[in-house]
Amino acid sequence: MRGYVAVLLVGILVFGAIASGCISSEKPTTPEKVEVSLTGDFVKDVVNIGKALESNGVNEVKFTVWGAGDPNSVMRVYGIVEAAERINKVFNENNINVKIVVDTNYVASFQQLFQDYLSKQPIGQAGDFFVNSYAFIPTLAKEGYILDVTEYAKAYEKELSDFYTPLMEASKWKGKLYGLPQDTEARPLYIRKDVAKCSGFDLTKLEEKVKNGEFTWSDVYAKAKAAKEKGCSEWGLIHRKGSAHPDLIQFIFAFGGTLYDENEDKLVLDVPAVYKWLYVEWKFARDGILPEDIMSWDWAKQIHPAIVSGNTLFDIGGTWYWAEWQTKDYYVDPKTNEPRGLKPEEVDAWFYYTLFPAGEKGQKPVTLSQPFVWMINSKAGAQNPKYDELKDIYQKLAFLMILKASDADINAIHSVISSHLPVRKAAEDLIKDEKWLNDLKNLNIDISSGVKAEIADIVKATVHPINAKFLADVSYMLEYTHLAPSHPKYPALADLFKDAVDKVLRGEMKPEEAVQFLIDRIKADPELSASVKIVGEVPKDWQFP
Amino acid sequence: MKKYSNLFQLSFFLTPALVIIIVFYLLPLVLTVYMSFTPIRNWNTERYLSQFIGSYNYYRIYHMVKYDPIFRQVMINTIIFVLITLIVNVFGGLLISLATYFINEKSSSTLRLVWLLPRMSPIAVYSLVWYYFFHGSEIGTLNSLLLKLGIIDKPIVLGQGVIPWGPWSIIVFINGLVGVSFGMIVFSSALSHIPRELVIAARVDGATNWSISRKILIPMIRWHILYVFTWQLLSLITSYAHTFLLIEWGLVNRDYGTTLSLYVFLTAFGRGEQDQGLAAAAATILAIIGTVLGFLTLKILKFERMIAKPRGDI
Repeated sequence: MRGYVAVLLVGILVFGAIASGCISSEKPTTPEKVEVSLTGDFVKDVVNIGKALESNGVNEVKFTVWGAGDPNSVMRVYGIVEAAERINKVFNENNINVKIVVDTNYVASFQQLFQDYLSKQPIGQAGDFFVNSYAFIPTLAKEGYILDVTEYAKAYEKELSDFYTPLMEASKWKGKLYGLPQDTEARPLYIRKDVAKCSGFDLTKLEEKVKNGEFTWSDVYAKAKAAKEKGCSEWGLIHRKGSAHPDLIQFIFAFGGTLYDENEDKLVLDVPAVYKWLYVEWKFARDGILPEDIMSWDWAKQIHPAIVSGNTLFDIGGTWYWAEWQTKDYYVDPKTNEPRGLKPEEVDAWFYYTLFPAGEKGQKPVTLSQPFVWMINSKAGAQNPKYDELKDIYQKLAFLMILKASDADINAIHSVISSHLPVRKAAEDLIKDEKWLNDLKNLNIDISSGVKAEIADIVKATVHPINAKFLADVSYMLEYTHLAPSHPKYPALADLFKDAVDKVLRGEMKPEEAVQFLIDRIKADPELSASVKIVGEVPKDWQFP
Repeated sequence: MKKYSNLFQLSFFLTPALVIIIVFYLLPLVLTVYMSFTPIRNWNTERYLSQFIGSYNYYRIYHMVKYDPIFRQVMINTIIFVLITLIVNVFGGLLISLATYFINEKSSSTLRLVWLLPRMSPIAVYSLVWYYFFHGSEIGTLNSLLLKLGIIDKPIVLGQGVIPWGPWSIIVFINGLVGVSFGMIVFSSALSHIPRELVIAARVDGATNWSISRKILIPMIRWHILYVFTWQLLSLITSYAHTFLLIEWGLVNRDYGTTLSLYVFLTAFGRGEQDQGLAAAAATILAIIGTVLGFLTLKILKFERMIAKPRGDI
């Protein structure tokens, strides 16, 4: 009998639980949507949105921003925090009882953050703002995971005309705008001046020689080999680990190749250019000039320490390295035997920088930019009250926040402290302003106390006339810049490039075998095969160096 | 009436287990099979889950088996990894439990505790320890030791350079260490229940440790060995966590370290494009392989004899 009672009780409990989910006491009604129009007058739009929120009983709006990058690029998330503070100030000044609160999530790996975003966006757990590479826009836009802000941007055309056109274009996919540029960069070839001097490598007018294509990768090889053979450095060349995109993709452009066919909207495997790239990697590694296991080196324990300690003549790096070397303790001071960051004077005295040289005579030098873009989650604001009614308001508020986060001073601060390049002219002008730089150095600037506290240490270590001059000096490189293709299948192709580079470096494959490996792997996946056009053949009688 | 009463009572005790099996095993399996017939990617369930594409994802796998050398390598890695690690797990666990059986209780407890450490450590911490141990440069503990002893003059890049046995030996070693402790616990527990008088009598007759192990202990725990063997086999087919981290950190070569379960994980979560449809098809194949192997193992090792009712003639 007790058994009956127990089973009955369990049955009632399960039925109750199921029924409570299925039966609703009220008939669902479609909420009436509240909308405002953007006018292009920032304060007016903020006030309209604030009033709409207030009249709907919303006094606090919560947003989360997700960003990634090097340790100095924290303004990628604090820029949004600062924008919220500035908008809160407008609310205050207009007696609107609404406050925006922003949570931040900043990680090192932008690829990992992208993967997290992909898996968490559909279940509504991704950040409302997502700061990441423009290269992910096609995938995110295709899946409907980010907001199309084309219409919102029309109201602010004048403001946005200050942004550099190529960067605005990079924020688009299929003609639609999916965010605002946050930063960009160039990828200089760094050269250790002391190692160069030791090996008899004259750096005079090198920049000019690189610019006009006289100094090519054959010369890089010769100089790197000489530096190693003369015992001036352990390695001739160091480059990134773990991925071919974006740094190593430069080789394809430097050898006159392409990655994308705009007419057919297909990715391109440019066999001659890719072969030459892989041959250079293979040759460097076989001659012991480039570590054959570099793709699995540790950034903080091996790659950066090797560069700042003068263990290599060349390094394929990025502009942000310049600031990173000053804030991270990669260098072990021989006097104290303690790790420390470099001083601006040391970085300036030790490193020469130039464009990524042409692959061979007849080709042009290049650099590659990977603009980061402030994107808005298509579910932005979902964690706030009355989301269904106020969705339009939340989305427009989010747009105004990325617009505010692009204020010239915020963008200029980010550029100076992280050695990235500004996205708009007004920010570039600020960086050239000595008084402003001096005020920034003393933190005598108009930013909220919370953000000021977060960036104080980085500002102290990096704001220096030498660093501002560096940014000004490298900005010409953008004239030579290339962008990786905006194509949903590009990440898959980039994965294959990484495997091929790793294999030639380790000597597992010769360059021609690695090219065949790439072709086989593309053909092995019917979807990738349909998205990639394979052009050209492995060049015969091509010689390097 | 009595029949129904029994049924009710039976249901009462079985329901929790059945609910767990249905919710956590059966439903995910059904969902995985269903997903394998959809183009679902980038977790966009809203868009793709209602689209049916037939056997396209299975065709893609067939295509890869036929044309993709890396996918073929994944299958070879799986066979090597499962076979060798299984041997290490079962025989390692047996060896340790037998060894600790013959020493005093205090020492054996300490020894068993040490062997349990890999299982008790968080996966990331445990993997990080071995990452730095096997690191292919001077910062690696093993290389640094061998260099200092003058045994080698330059670091050995075991996980990336000594192909294929370097990466294979690292993943087998690291997963083997974790698995050994499972066998050790089961076997030690089984051994402790064997009547001591049997061992004492054998000792009186002059039997050595080896003879006692071979003729008394091992035969008496044969069902436990069967259980550990089958359990570990199925676990190894689906385990990937440690290997994933070691590959991500660059210690182990991706092509020679990736097993089929890791391939499923990477396809679903870990690449530039996250293709859950393709991953689900690979996972379904993996589930079929696991089922067939589990069934075969139980058949070959005569599982039905273990669960047969005792004859009562002891």
